[in-house]
Amino acid sequence: MSLAPSTRRLLASQFYSVAGIATFIGIWAYASSRMEHYVLPSPWTVGKRMVELAQSGAVLTNFVDSLWRTILGWLIAVVIGSVIGFLMGRYRYARAFFHDLIYLAANVPLIVYAIVAIIVFGISGMGPTSVVILFVLPSIALNVAAGMMSVDPDLVGMSKAFNRSRFDLARHVVIPTVMPFAFAAGRVSFADSWKLAALVETFGGSSGVGYQIGRSYHLFSVRDVLAWMCIFVIFVVLLERLVLVNAEHRLFRWRADTPQRNRRWRGASKAAAPAEPVSTSAVETVMRK
Amino acid sequence: MTAPATTSAPAPARSWAAWLTTDVAARYTARLLMLVVWQAIGVLSTRIPTPVGTIEFLIDEMMRGEFWPHLTWTLRRAAISLSVVLVLGIAIGWAMGRWWRVGAYFRDVVTIMLALPAFIWALLSAMWWGFSEVGPFVVPVLAATPMLVASTYEGAKSLPQPLIAMSTAYRVPKVRFFGWLVLPAMSPYIFAGFRYAVLAGWGALSLVEFFASNWGAGYRAAFWYDAGNFNGLMGWGLVEIVVILAVDRLVLERLARRSRRWQEGTERW
Repeated sequence: MSLAPSTRRLLASQFYSVAGIATFIGIWAYASSRMEHYVLPSPWTVGKRMVELAQSGAVLTNFVDSLWRTILGWLIAVVIGSVIGFLMGRYRYARAFFHDLIYLAANVPLIVYAIVAIIVFGISGMGPTSVVILFVLPSIALNVAAGMMSVDPDLVGMSKAFNRSRFDLARHVVIPTVMPFAFAAGRVSFADSWKLAALVETFGGSSGVGYQIGRSYHLFSVRDVLAWMCIFVIFVVLLERLVLVNAEHRLFRWRADTPQRNRRWRGASKAAAPAEPVSTSAVETVMRK
Repeated sequence: MTAPATTSAPAPARSWAAWLTTDVAARYTARLLMLVVWQAIGVLSTRIPTPVGTIEFLIDEMMRGEFWPHLTWTLRRAAISLSVVLVLGIAIGWAMGRWWRVGAYFRDVVTIMLALPAFIWALLSAMWWGFSEVGPFVVPVLAATPMLVASTYEGAKSLPQPLIAMSTAYRVPKVRFFGWLVLPAMSPYIFAGFRYAVLAGWGALSLVEFFASNWGAGYRAAFWYDAGNFNGLMGWGLVEIVVILAVDRLVLERLARRSRRWQEGTERW
């Protein structure tokens, strides 16, 4: 929180950001009062609907469904992506081999993924999971490769000189260097993969948040779409702020006093996609505050 | 999977093996392998489109004269909404970095907008505006602007304060202040964010065309999807991928690199 030199300023900034949200809800309320209620329901109607959905337990079951699929796909992607990233960081041949494939996979529009999943898997739980794998894999692989390439060669040389085993080298030098890269990639991609899973469910799921949104759309209920949308946002923000940020603090407590920015830049500038970490970290810092 | 070949074959064979491990060879091996695997899967399954079928479909589509009108229309929409994104994103991002009150005011709104997936906007626009031109314009703006705002905000916060103080002291005109100091200093952040914004906006545009339009590349994909022609769906999906890759690679990446040129050799980059 470099923004706030004093507590008063911090409180004031909180006040302004609440005011920002209040303005938007106010505009929404005003607009809804001028339109038919089925075109744009008022914030209170949507809020009431959200409470109803939460009380009936629909929110919980659907979110658990979506979250489970996302996490499963994400975990598989992390494992495969780390292996590919390791190979890419280690061997020149692998770097050239995977470069185009990963570049392609990273740039496919989400809608194409969603549709391909429907074609291939039909309406089953495998669709969201497999698409999440395809989507998360490139960023994990690229960042792990960048991390591998930023491993300090002096430390590697020294541990060889002192006859450390490869296991020791991996444990004390390679993994600590690569972890922040992998974690940054995983964090950013998790938020997006969750959106993608919802999108796939919209097209052809049988349960989950996306399915509920798609169903409300087909029933032409703007109220329900907005209610699910608000719930979705609340979940994403909560997940981002509470779970992932805490996990990150805990994992990287040991390097709290090191200048992390420099380390990341140095590795990132050698990586395959030099522009990426800039904007990623920019988006990240905004999300974190 | 594919470690560098460490064969100790006789001389002529070794030059072959050596060539096979070069970067160029590795790239073509990967591309070829992908096509072959895709074709094999497509032949084995009846649902999955094959590369050959997809190419055939695209040629057919061009012969029918359906290819260019739809594609150019989509490109036109993208150009209009992305120029709005550029103006809005830079203005809001800069203001957020310049005045902390504005920054605090927009902070949570930007967070929420970043968390919202584009397909919800696409569905809402289908319900609100039907098949009109409003949806394809509004949805990419809503989906892409937050990315550029977030990135520009970082850039605006890192503007060199001494230079700003000096230009205030010497009363540099506003236009020059912006053109010579603010924009060049923020440009690496702007271009990095804009690359993301273009990706997000293009995806959002294809989504909204899929759901709520009767013209454009996304609409054609939806058309063939509804008709059960998966080669057609894949063909249009491929077109969208190729266009965005070409724009990203040939234009945006170069611009981003150019915008960073003045910083080369400095510590941060």
